[in-house]
Amino acid sequence: MQHISRRQALIGLGALTFVVAGCGEDEAPKKAADSANKAGAMAGYAAGQQFKATQPVTFDILHLNNPFYPLKKDWLLWQEITKRTNVTLKPVEVPLSDYEKKRGLLVGSGQAPLIIPKTYHPSEEAFVASGAILPVSDYLDLMPNFKDKIAKWKLEPELNTLRQADGKFYLLPGIHESPWVDYSLAVRTDILDKHGLEIPTTWDELYTVLKALKKEYPDLYPMTDRWGVPTPGGNLLKIVAQAYGAKGGWEYQHATWDSAAGKFAYTGAMPQYKQTIEYLRKLVEEKLLDPESFTQQDEQAKQKFNSGKSFVISTNAQAMINDYRPTLTKLVPDAKIVKIPVPMGPVGEYKIQTRLENGVMISKKALENENFVAMMQFIDWLYYSDQGQEFAKWGVEGTTFTKDASGKYTLTKDVDFLGLNAGASKHLQKDFGFSNGVFAYGGPLKLVQSTFSEEELAFQNVMNARQLWPVEPPRPFNDVEREQATLWETPLKDFVTQQTLKFILGERDLSEWDAYVKELEGKNMTAYINLVNTAYDRFKKQHG
Amino acid sequence: MVTTVKSRGYRVFQGINAVILTGVVIVTLYPFVNIIARSFSDERHIVAGQVNFFPRGFNVKTYQLVVSDPMFWTNYRNTVVYTVVATAIAMVLTTCYAYVLSKKHLKGRTGLIWVAIFTMIFSGGLIPQYVLVNSLGLTNSIWAIVLPNAISVFNLLVMKAFFEGLPRDLEEAAAIDGLNTYGILWRIVLPLSKAVIATMVLFYAVSFWNSWFTAFLYLNEQDLFPVTIYLRNLIAGATGAESAGAALSEVSAAAANIQAVTIMLTVLPILAVYPFVQRYFVSGVMLGAVKG
Repeated sequence: MQHISRRQALIGLGALTFVVAGCGEDEAPKKAADSANKAGAMAGYAAGQQFKATQPVTFDILHLNNPFYPLKKDWLLWQEITKRTNVTLKPVEVPLSDYEKKRGLLVGSGQAPLIIPKTYHPSEEAFVASGAILPVSDYLDLMPNFKDKIAKWKLEPELNTLRQADGKFYLLPGIHESPWVDYSLAVRTDILDKHGLEIPTTWDELYTVLKALKKEYPDLYPMTDRWGVPTPGGNLLKIVAQAYGAKGGWEYQHATWDSAAGKFAYTGAMPQYKQTIEYLRKLVEEKLLDPESFTQQDEQAKQKFNSGKSFVISTNAQAMINDYRPTLTKLVPDAKIVKIPVPMGPVGEYKIQTRLENGVMISKKALENENFVAMMQFIDWLYYSDQGQEFAKWGVEGTTFTKDASGKYTLTKDVDFLGLNAGASKHLQKDFGFSNGVFAYGGPLKLVQSTFSEEELAFQNVMNARQLWPVEPPRPFNDVEREQATLWETPLKDFVTQQTLKFILGERDLSEWDAYVKELEGKNMTAYINLVNTAYDRFKKQHG
Repeated sequence: MVTTVKSRGYRVFQGINAVILTGVVIVTLYPFVNIIARSFSDERHIVAGQVNFFPRGFNVKTYQLVVSDPMFWTNYRNTVVYTVVATAIAMVLTTCYAYVLSKKHLKGRTGLIWVAIFTMIFSGGLIPQYVLVNSLGLTNSIWAIVLPNAISVFNLLVMKAFFEGLPRDLEEAAAIDGLNTYGILWRIVLPLSKAVIATMVLFYAVSFWNSWFTAFLYLNEQDLFPVTIYLRNLIAGATGAESAGAALSEVSAAAANIQAVTIMLTVLPILAVYPFVQRYFVSGVMLGAVKG
């Protein structure tokens, strides 16, 4: 899906050159300080202050319509936003199924709403060259809360990864005070207890545990895995690779920062990546890991796990509650499962997790809007102020939630969310529009954790104790380089994915690793990584 | 067919044929039967992969649940309206165009045909098309769904071939008896064209009923969406684990049986139309093909 959307965006880009360029390019962007676009803005708006437009204003916003809580026009969310800020939001409703596609189309045709949320980096890059979206980094002075939190939470390095070759960034990211690791492995603890095994804390221990289980259940694969479609080993490759200091699965990127060498290396050819493959090969070879793990549908993997034919599987907090526990306990009544802290490897007690979330793009035509400044202040308040974040997630105090002296949030009795008040007549998302993915994400640790279960909190406490892997330095391509890089990336990625699977499944012997690296060379690996390092050097020179 | 005695080889052939075709029927029908079974099953049997041909944990609760969602009915009604209006407009335009093209003595006929065929091969591309529809002020209205796709060139050519096959003398006789062009079309040609009209109605209706992309492009309010988008969104919500993993609140997927029920309810009406049109269908769709 991601793939199509990016292509879509590129098509959009091409067409845009003809369609929009004619009318947009020659008008010099007006300075934010112009009084022409200050209508409705607050004069001395500062961090922590309630934003309220000095006159009623209306902004259109792209709204991702989640089928679990389809948009309702009478949501308290809309009313309360207007009441508190004098802003009326006019949503352009787009179904979740094809959000990226429609966004590409609207931006490409110049018909996009002013506010475009739910954009995952780097999908905003497709729109940069066309000049259809605003370099928001130029207007941060209008956003005191955003600046305040970036400074307070020391997010500058993360923010730098969003910067383009011109040193600006085009996406207002969602930000977390503390990184939130969600994906790990679910393990059947009742089986471990039965055979006197401990919960594994490292990948080597996991290997020992699986081996012991294989001895007890020789006909079964002790571990099977999901999230293999469309990215083979999406989660498993990712978390194993992290333990070795590489990038794999969902997280695969062509270049990985090699801090010792002070430059980027090609991920798929790194020794760390090889070690990742060696480990997984070992699991498959000794029949500890179901070889179908990398290609089967989630449904099949869940069936194997839930019917007790397998004891370890990838999970996240939601999958524990929705996918495994209800079915498993029906089919295997004594089953107990736990989401174990992500197993560790040679790099030690680290976690690799970005503190940035999906974020908001602004259409460049907003600059010509007389309410531009008010809009930026409004976005700052809603997405980045403490009050705004609390409001978006929990709603209105007294109506949807209450807060005690220690700052603990409780839903009001007749409101349910995530099963916290099961059986209540109303739902926080469906009936009120709060905790809506368009507006509510990230924020202070306390807010993020306010909806976690005890089990998840325990997991988070272990993960929070681990150190954060340093953020890689920025290395933005310019337009020419990006075009070239895109041509190289697809064949490289396909090749790496395919060969990774072959190595793991034993279709190709690992002794052929050097030959494999040679083949990567043939696909312009070195040229690609040189391009990355050139971009890195240039950016460092120009922007420090 | 003269004698009832068939050779042994022929009977063996028939036997094998029957087996293979039964196999094909099962393969084609199974997914559908499975969806029916799922729609009546308890969710936990579905998740455990125990539902095949027959429902397990029989219940109709899911039907009640889906039917009680007002948005489902709003979108359903939209689909019906769009399909009816679009099919009507498409039929009028296609019939007129095809009838004109079937007249060999018409000057510039080749040009008119090529205008149609040109659009079959080349299109303006997504964004220009969007810009066009938007500048015409059609977005967010039924006209954006109904007008841009009003003539399907394939259907047009099939219809043209059919009209060409009608005896010319008939129309000449009608003209001599005093009918004008429209009278001939309305009183002589159309009554003779029931087969092709039924086929075209079916083609158009099914394609409008199933279509979601135009609606997705040009409509910005869910109150206007057809039920296909509702369904597509529902299914996407249930499978988007990777991207949705970012926020806990978003993964709450629609249950497997809700999907099945929605699919059933969406497919049913168009399925019900088929048997009634089918007798025209075979003769109608073959028309263009047989003509040399």
